[in-house]
Amino acid sequence: MSAADAHLLAKAAVGDDAYAFALLAELSEALAVSLDLRRTLPIAIQRIVDYMQVQAASLFLFDEETDELACKVCVGPIDVRGLRLGTDQGIVGLAFTQAAVQIVADAANDERVYKRIDEETGFVTHSLICVPLTAAKGTIGVLELINKLDGAAFDATDAGILRLLAVPTALAINNARMATALIEQQRLKREFDLARRLQKLLLPKRRRAGFPLLAVNVPAHEISGDFYDYFDLADGRIGFVIGDVSGKGLDAALLMTRAASLLRWAGKDGLAPDEWLRRANEELCQTTTGGRFVCAAVGYYERSTGEVRLAGAGFPPALLHGDGVYCEYRSDGPPLGIVAGQEYTETRLRLGGAALYFFSDGVTDVRVGDGRLGQEGVRGLIDRHASAPPEARLRLMVSELRQLRLVDDTTLLLLEEPRAQTAQVLLRQTFPAEAERLRSMRADLRLALQRSGVPADLRDRLVLAVDEACCNIIRHAYAGSSGDIVLSLRRDGDVLDFELRDDAPGVDPSRITPRDLAECRAGGLGVNFIDALMDGWRLQPQAGGVGNVLRMWKRCPAPLEDEA
Amino acid sequence: MNDIVTEQRDDLTLVKLAGEVDLSWSARVREAILEALETRSVGVDLAAVSYIDSSGIAALVEGLQTARDAERRFVLIATSLPVLAVLELARLDRVFTLLPDVGSALRPAEVG
Repeated sequence: MSAADAHLLAKAAVGDDAYAFALLAELSEALAVSLDLRRTLPIAIQRIVDYMQVQAASLFLFDEETDELACKVCVGPIDVRGLRLGTDQGIVGLAFTQAAVQIVADAANDERVYKRIDEETGFVTHSLICVPLTAAKGTIGVLELINKLDGAAFDATDAGILRLLAVPTALAINNARMATALIEQQRLKREFDLARRLQKLLLPKRRRAGFPLLAVNVPAHEISGDFYDYFDLADGRIGFVIGDVSGKGLDAALLMTRAASLLRWAGKDGLAPDEWLRRANEELCQTTTGGRFVCAAVGYYERSTGEVRLAGAGFPPALLHGDGVYCEYRSDGPPLGIVAGQEYTETRLRLGGAALYFFSDGVTDVRVGDGRLGQEGVRGLIDRHASAPPEARLRLMVSELRQLRLVDDTTLLLLEEPRAQTAQVLLRQTFPAEAERLRSMRADLRLALQRSGVPADLRDRLVLAVDEACCNIIRHAYAGSSGDIVLSLRRDGDVLDFELRDDAPGVDPSRITPRDLAECRAGGLGVNFIDALMDGWRLQPQAGGVGNVLRMWKRCPAPLEDEA
Repeated sequence: MNDIVTEQRDDLTLVKLAGEVDLSWSARVREAILEALETRSVGVDLAAVSYIDSSGIAALVEGLQTARDAERRFVLIATSLPVLAVLELARLDRVFTLLPDVGSALRPAEVG
């Protein structure tokens, strides 16, 4: 408040204009307590009209979108609410652009006055005064009074009083606008929260240990444009999807929702990956607008054969990492949702014991110093954590990425057979149950154990135990009749699992007992050896009285991976 | 391959085994030992045996028992590590007389 204003206010409070002071107080209070401008502003303007003894008054507010001044409140014989003036039009525009009070004593002869309303309605404007409404960020509107009832022109005192009355009005308008913006913000936040929850629901649940697919999604903002999915097909294959929707915000999130469900739907049909993408592209092209598109990689994994079939649509290349060697599988097709009729290419690979990584460009785009992580950086990231089991490895990689600056949504999908949970067949052979065959069986078994990293002394003992078991099958189960023995050796984590199957008549397990070693006699030692050398064994006669399965197991930790 | 060589040395018949004494061969080994024990004491040379199973051990045990009944000596000579491991496993390493070489087998007075 300027010194002149303060002087005016002091004069009004004690002198003839005491009523002005009361009005100011009343207006301020009324405007402060309500955010409902539709109700309070017309009342405030009416009070001003009454006090100032004028014929008409209008409140114009600046509309940033159209760069116009729009009449929001109007008191008087002509209702001009909705009238929009350019900031270069009339005295209203002048007061706004100059942010200063404008007084016109003879409107009819003033070129600057906007005359269309008078011409159209027959109303005659004799004199007028326009006062800018000022808030913290600048002028937000103009208050215009027309024609004093006594016919006099507006003077400096009128200007001073009006400027004072304009202050609480502008303040109230500004407050109400901020409140509206806040409410809008809260509404948007609620919508974003909902969208984020919906998105999380779309992502598949983490499967129990032993499932070969793992994925992580780290949104850079409240809602992510990235997504992933995996699902089982009736024929035993596992389908997987990873995708990235262009753009940010709510409509990108909605497109992501649609793309994710579309890709899942097409994938569950068991289509070949190239056809899968082709169909999704056709669908997305029909509905995607505004320059948005979807990058994705899709594929199937067949656990029994270890074969992976995949196809990409503008997605970063898949990275196969095994035995310290990297192999890139590039995505050939264009992103989805841009041009219909695109063809995609299927790539096949054998997973084996390797790890297949898919990562959204949020990973390669991570800021590292002045540059970005890039493909080389991603390989380094994998190298640093390659020895960790899959789940821990993804966690370590993500926490390292978080320490860098994530600029985009970041999603990692890992396809890898878990080692510990899956039995690995080291040897499987069928041979006639004859003593003459045992020598080559022992040689093969010794080699298989050696390859699996079993130390030499333990190797010999395990070979002896299996040999003894075979001897017993030949001598006691088949007992002179002919038949086959099927030997399987598996590694299941730290445990070596030996299985011997025969087609001999069923053996009663309770009749097999080790002999007393203190008693020195020939024969019956075989079972002792098996007892002593294995951690356990179990003989299971097959149903129907023909065939027996002998399982023997021994704990023997696998050597470290880089030695295997 | 598997091979049995029988040699007469002083008062001892030396049965030299080479190869893998398993179910396919232990019967032949048993016969050779028992046949030798019919006339003289026996030393079984195991230096070249790379593998022995319980049927091979049984042949040795039977030789020991037969020799005891016939009051003859029965010794194991130059037992290879694989054979020793299996003897230990069967707790028979203290039951047999284990000698390091043929020379020590030929001086019965010292052995007692």
